Amino acid sequence: MTELQAGQGTQPLDVARIDARPQRYRDVLIALVAFVVLALLPFIFGSKQLLDFVIRCAAYGLFATSLNLLVGYTGLISFGHGMFFGLGAYGFGLMMQKTGVPIPVAFVATLAMTLVVAVVIGAICVRLKEIYFAFVTLAFQMLIHSTILSWQSLTGGDQGLRGGIPRPPFLSIDLSNHLHLYITSCALLVIGLLLMRQIAQSPFGYTLRMIRDNATRASFIGIDVWRAKLTIFVLAALFASTGGIIMALFVSGAYPEFAYWTISGEGIFINMLGGVTTFLGPMVGTVLLLILNDTVTRLTEYHGIVLGIVILFFAIGLRKGLMDFVVEWFAQRRGEVGERAP
Amino acid sequence: MKRTRKPGITRRSTLALMGAGAVSFAAPWVARAQAKTIKIGMPTILSGRVAQLGTSSRNAVLLEVEKVNAAGGLAGRQIEMVIRDSKGQPQEAARIARELVNTDGCEMLLDGEASSGSFAVHEVARDLGVLCIHTCSEASSLTADPKQHIPNAFRCVRQGIHDSIVGASYAAGIAKAKGLKKWATCSPDYAYGRDTTGEFVLYLKKFAPDVEIISESWPKLFQPDYTEVVTKILQAKPQALYSCLWGGDLTSYIDQANIYAMFTQMEVFAVNMADYTALTVVKNLPKGIHSGDRYIKTFPPTPENAAWGDAYKAKYNEYPTNWSWQNATAVMFLNEAVKKANSTDGKKVAEALTGLTIKCPFGADGTVTMRADDHTLVGYAIGWGTTIPQEPYVPDVKAGDWKTIFELEAEWKKSKGYT
Repeated sequence: MTELQAGQGTQPLDVARIDARPQRYRDVLIALVAFVVLALLPFIFGSKQLLDFVIRCAAYGLFATSLNLLVGYTGLISFGHGMFFGLGAYGFGLMMQKTGVPIPVAFVATLAMTLVVAVVIGAICVRLKEIYFAFVTLAFQMLIHSTILSWQSLTGGDQGLRGGIPRPPFLSIDLSNHLHLYITSCALLVIGLLLMRQIAQSPFGYTLRMIRDNATRASFIGIDVWRAKLTIFVLAALFASTGGIIMALFVSGAYPEFAYWTISGEGIFINMLGGVTTFLGPMVGTVLLLILNDTVTRLTEYHGIVLGIVILFFAIGLRKGLMDFVVEWFAQRRGEVGERAP
Repeated sequence: MKRTRKPGITRRSTLALMGAGAVSFAAPWVARAQAKTIKIGMPTILSGRVAQLGTSSRNAVLLEVEKVNAAGGLAGRQIEMVIRDSKGQPQEAARIARELVNTDGCEMLLDGEASSGSFAVHEVARDLGVLCIHTCSEASSLTADPKQHIPNAFRCVRQGIHDSIVGASYAAGIAKAKGLKKWATCSPDYAYGRDTTGEFVLYLKKFAPDVEIISESWPKLFQPDYTEVVTKILQAKPQALYSCLWGGDLTSYIDQANIYAMFTQMEVFAVNMADYTALTVVKNLPKGIHSGDRYIKTFPPTPENAAWGDAYKAKYNEYPTNWSWQNATAVMFLNEAVKKANSTDGKKVAEALTGLTIKCPFGADGTVTMRADDHTLVGYAIGWGTTIPQEPYVPDVKAGDWKTIFELEAEWKKSKGYT
């Protein structure tokens, strides 16, 4: 059963409550296994390119999955989610450059700053519906992008944060060591995905699905739709910001492109590629897009044409993301097997 | 005949396996010993709005590498360029730069990135310690700011501050001669536009204290319509206009300003006009626009420069750009530094590059220098002249004085807190 189907009707609410605990244990177990596998990868393959790839996957994966909390689970198509990616990168970079606080403090402070900004922007945006919501989020993103460009004394304007991001060691973790950065990124990715999974599977997550399917109905049964939408908007912003922090650590800087609309566009594209009806769809989309990007740019400078064709194939050919397609195909196959069985 | 072969591994296959194992174990060492080629990585912008500049950088590098390879390569090793498109995105530039070094085995980097991309590649060079020559970023802070300084990175590019000093000195001469006191500015609204214009105005007022700025316009980068900017300037009625618009923005601006006959009403100083990408694209190039030299084959007026421009045109069927000569110069520097160091080892080449002076078709006096204290290019041909609508487009370029540039640049660095 896909998430979309699960969201229909009120019955899944009860199912979620009954199944919550064993499912949570299963998710934690899967997360642990995933982390161990990821952590072992460098010792098996030893390819630096692979490490770079996984670090970028962590940054974009957290960003795209958090966008799916809005797009797939709540029906809020945000065109400006990239602003929080940029805010995370700039907030963390500036904190490390200007204050010299330990990394965990800068991390938490960046998330706190993102929270404040997201509450303010979200409070205005989530009142709006559909295309109006999309465009106002885009407008806020461009506002933040323009601010970054104009506030040269703080942000370095279009040249970005210069001079590298200092990374003093903490708790014997040295993020200037690439292996440490890799392991930390993997940990953040796995923890982030696990938390987002818990949000999606919680009663609150099912409330979001109900709002997506019929906001009026949700409001009639006593749900504060505005508050629920604002909460998920802010939570998604925090995860996107974490993605931005990982990217800032990877490139040792922050650049205005991180807060530009193209980053939001990439997030939407990743969701289209991987699918919005399964939790791991955006993660699969991230891996697909990065593999596509890395291989195609190696081979040709006309990568735009290739990526365009791929988008068309998914949008017009499959009419869904890869994970949606796979899940449906499995469900169909299981159905056929079931019919054939005595 | 009945075969008596026993099951299990035979002696022959054991020997074959051992042989294969030995070959595969030794292969990397054999390959390395025979690694005659030296790979040089180059992230640059080959798609999007500035793709033409990235392509012209690639062309120039390949033109020069061909010459170096024909002459025996770098210390006997043939150069193999690995050039990839970053799409102008800093995160892609960083990824590609890392990939070029870590996976493709590039021993040096030519960084063909502009603005933020060059700062991203700079951080990769800091992290990996690989020799890196920036070939396109004109942002002065890339090398002037001591926070940016690393022993393995160099910049083989003209600089905004140099252009501003020479431009202001030239413009002040004309302002005094023609009594141009009321000035307007029109530059793109981002760091390069704001910094370069600010520095130009600062030095213009220093050389000609009577000058007054009566109107400022800051159109957005890549803005398609300049009507409001043109009418605003015309209403202010300045005697002269300064602009550091570039590329497609500059050509669109000139085409649109031509409709209002702007160029007959005031003296125009456009620092980025004298580049073939702009000169050949403008529909009706007005006579008498004052411009800095980006790249034209008639300045410096030497046979070597003309020959280089013609060779480039013959090979690629278009004239080189400002990025072209900078990239070509970077390859020339590498070639001479490797000769001096007698090695292709990055550290030794970096030491040799520091303070190195080489013969170069683009030098003000036939040579250019990689200044030792900030690892940046100095001594290149820099000057201003006025346009005519046909080739050679800017016939008489007045060369800037490097002594004045050095003096004022030192003051500027002090004022910025860099020294």
